[in-house]
Amino acid sequence: MIDRRHFLQGLSATAIAADSLIGLGADADTPGLTQAEAEVAKQILPSKDSSPLHIGIIGPGSRGKELVRNFLRVPGIKIVAASDVYAPRFQELNDLCGYPVAALSDFRELCDRKDLDAIVVATPLGLHADHVLAALASGHAVYGEKTMAYTVDQARQIVSAVEAGKRLYQVGHQYRYSPWIRAAIARVQAGEIGTVTHIEGYWHRNNDWRRPVPDPSLERLINWRLYHQWSLGLLAELGSHHIDIANWVFGSTPITALASGSICRYHDGRETDDNVQAVLGYSDGRRFIFNSVTDNAKMGDQLWLYGNKGSLNLTLEDATFFYEPHQIERAKPSAHGEEKGVTTSASYRSSGEMPYRGPGRPVNVTTAEDPTTAATRAFIYCVRTSSRPIADVHVGLGSALAVVQSNQARLQKREIEVPPPSM
Amino acid sequence: MHFHQLIGRCFVGALFLILSAWSPANTSSGELFGSATKSAIDVEPLEYFHKTHPAMGTEFSIDIYAHNQSEADRAINLAFDEVDRLEDLLSNYRPSSELSRISREASNEPVTTDPETFRFLQRAFYWSARSEGAFDITVGPLLRAWGFFFQGGRIPSGSELVSLRSKVGWQKVILDSQARTVSFSHHQSMELDPGSIGKGFAIDQVVTMLHGLGVTSAFLSAGGSTLYAIGAPPGTTGWPVNIPDPIHPGRIASRILLKDSSLSTGACTEKFFIKDGHRYCHIFDPKSLRPVEGVLQTSVIDPSATDSDALSTVVFVLDPTLSRRVIESTPGRKALVFRRPQTHQSCLNMNWPGDPCGQA
Ligand SMILES: NC(=O)c1ccc[n+]([C@@H]2O[C@H](COP(=O)([O-])OP(=O)(O)OC[C@H]3O[C@@H](n4cnc5c(N)ncnc54)[C@H](O)[C@@H]3O)[C@@H](O)[C@H]2O)c1
Repeated sequence: MIDRRHFLQGLSATAIAADSLIGLGADADTPGLTQAEAEVAKQILPSKDSSPLHIGIIGPGSRGKELVRNFLRVPGIKIVAASDVYAPRFQELNDLCGYPVAALSDFRELCDRKDLDAIVVATPLGLHADHVLAALASGHAVYGEKTMAYTVDQARQIVSAVEAGKRLYQVGHQYRYSPWIRAAIARVQAGEIGTVTHIEGYWHRNNDWRRPVPDPSLERLINWRLYHQWSLGLLAELGSHHIDIANWVFGSTPITALASGSICRYHDGRETDDNVQAVLGYSDGRRFIFNSVTDNAKMGDQLWLYGNKGSLNLTLEDATFFYEPHQIERAKPSAHGEEKGVTTSASYRSSGEMPYRGPGRPVNVTTAEDPTTAATRAFIYCVRTSSRPIADVHVGLGSALAVVQSNQARLQKREIEVPPPSM
Repeated sequence: MHFHQLIGRCFVGALFLILSAWSPANTSSGELFGSATKSAIDVEPLEYFHKTHPAMGTEFSIDIYAHNQSEADRAINLAFDEVDRLEDLLSNYRPSSELSRISREASNEPVTTDPETFRFLQRAFYWSARSEGAFDITVGPLLRAWGFFFQGGRIPSGSELVSLRSKVGWQKVILDSQARTVSFSHHQSMELDPGSIGKGFAIDQVVTMLHGLGVTSAFLSAGGSTLYAIGAPPGTTGWPVNIPDPIHPGRIASRILLKDSSLSTGACTEKFFIKDGHRYCHIFDPKSLRPVEGVLQTSVIDPSATDSDALSTVVFVLDPTLSRRVIESTPGRKALVFRRPQTHQSCLNMNWPGDPCGQA
């Protein structure tokens, strides 16, 4: 079994924070892991409270609408106002909600409204800090999309605003709410695959990562992912989710980042790389390795956790454990007190090289619902009960630090430091 | 993605694949498209593109006329993304779908769902009401009992079937449109199966999306059983669809030029099992709890693919008189039903164009 120091290291900061929030205290002998899981279970339970709650959204684009769709699965939720700079979004949002939502061209007007219980921010990355900070400053609870911010400085400002103002902030790292990922990681934390030293993730696409642009003047607004002004590219858009899971499993944020990338396939005027690779260094030499390409999506999203006793494979749909062959054990004398002869054979077993052939052992969960459905419901639970989100501002900071610094490393073509979360 | 210059023959060839059980040798349709090349006089001439995509347990395909490869790519990729999104929403095979969440939780308490899913369920139960229960998305437990999911077919005992009555029946599903909730009455555990309407719903959403992108000529197919034509191929009046004659294999019963409308077909040719020489069909009569007998194939034309998909089951299950009432009450709706020759009048024409039953 793992010792207590490692055990606590393996807990996310939020899990510990959640413990104190729900009044269970820091009793040294209480298994904290179970408490964290109990808190999650409570937050994602089907909601019985259907008291009316009003939400405003900044940036109801593709993700924003998906979030709205999920928020509308929570009893009592009404989307009352939206802000966007691209007018067609308002009609799309009305169609989605089935009723008219107040349309505002300036996000400040939305923040000024007094009839909102929470604000959702789903704008391009470069705008997150502006919008999140304004929403927090106006006293609102915020569901902010990942990556939390475009610079380390902005990310820290968001942390300060949440802490100083005692605000509620949840970051869009919805896999923290995924039932199969939680169940699997809880087992990893309990030592099922031994000590995890390496995590490897890749998340690929097989397309040009573009969206249709009705008019060339809209290129940068619609294909913002391809331009530096608002985007940190694949590291932020796909990597941030994996990095968050690595932070969660390792129980800390990385201390170094090394990265590379290039434009290999799509020479179409884009600025962000169409393939990136990153190596994040954690304490004790532990590593997370990330890769993303855009012209081959075989096994599109995979995350592998490697421990000395086994491995865990996480995908967008499931989790599967694989086990290392048993370590050498002291032989026990046979029950009959005499050794049987050994029959010779000429067969060659390739299992030394191919230990992972075979189906593995899947993690079974009864409520394998869409993580975003669970995450949005948990956010509303927190708003209604003033609880602290699982994917809180520190979760957001941890992955933002790693994303921003990986991108710096990519630009500078050298290993650079990732600053610690608290300074 | 394959693409052909606008040459009538090639694209007719592609369409031949739509309804499978017949051979192209039976028709000579090339001349229909003789004028197509001449009318394509845009600055950038329209080119023809085709792509398939596995989804919802079948193969979706899109035929589209676009000005260039990248325009076609965008439209097709967005369309298939939309199909995938809807599969994520509605699949009863994926525990993470919204429909699965509802099936799982609606016996405990009313489940609030999003407007799109709610609209889908409302339409499904609208057809249950309109068809006096012939159309019912709660029949999953019946299919399971009859071995359609895993066992390759079995005949359940009468008492086994009766015991399933409490788990099946659209009237046990309570939709509250004010609260947008779904619940199962008496905390009954039930299953919602989108199979008989979900593909049509997906096609309708894609059509709306393609219209938004300015697409004027495209043909969508969900496994050949639900089809939708946006506009017509350049220089023509519609996308050709052939309805096979199930009584005379190899023959075409009807040839339709489809335009801004959908066509869905129900048949027992793919999902069925045979026991003691008898064919058991995967389309069930919820009243008898048994597979429908005596119907070979139904085809329905309706402006909405959701509706034609559901209606192809409605007219499969309902008797001819009631079927006719549902179909003929609405202009623009048409049906062609083939029944096993010995049992009834074998070909039933409900507002169908031409004389499809004439030669039958
Ligand atoms: N958690 C996840 O799994 C997930 C998935 C997809 C996207 N995202 C995140 O969501 C965010 C949005 O991504 P998207 O794909 O929806 O992009 P999008 O371009 O579709 O949507 C962004 C919206 O913001 C609007 N906008 C831009 N500037 C604005 C301003 N100044 N004021 C108000 N609105 C403005 C745009 O017009 C657009 O409607 C990104 O940060 C992305 O990383 C998260």
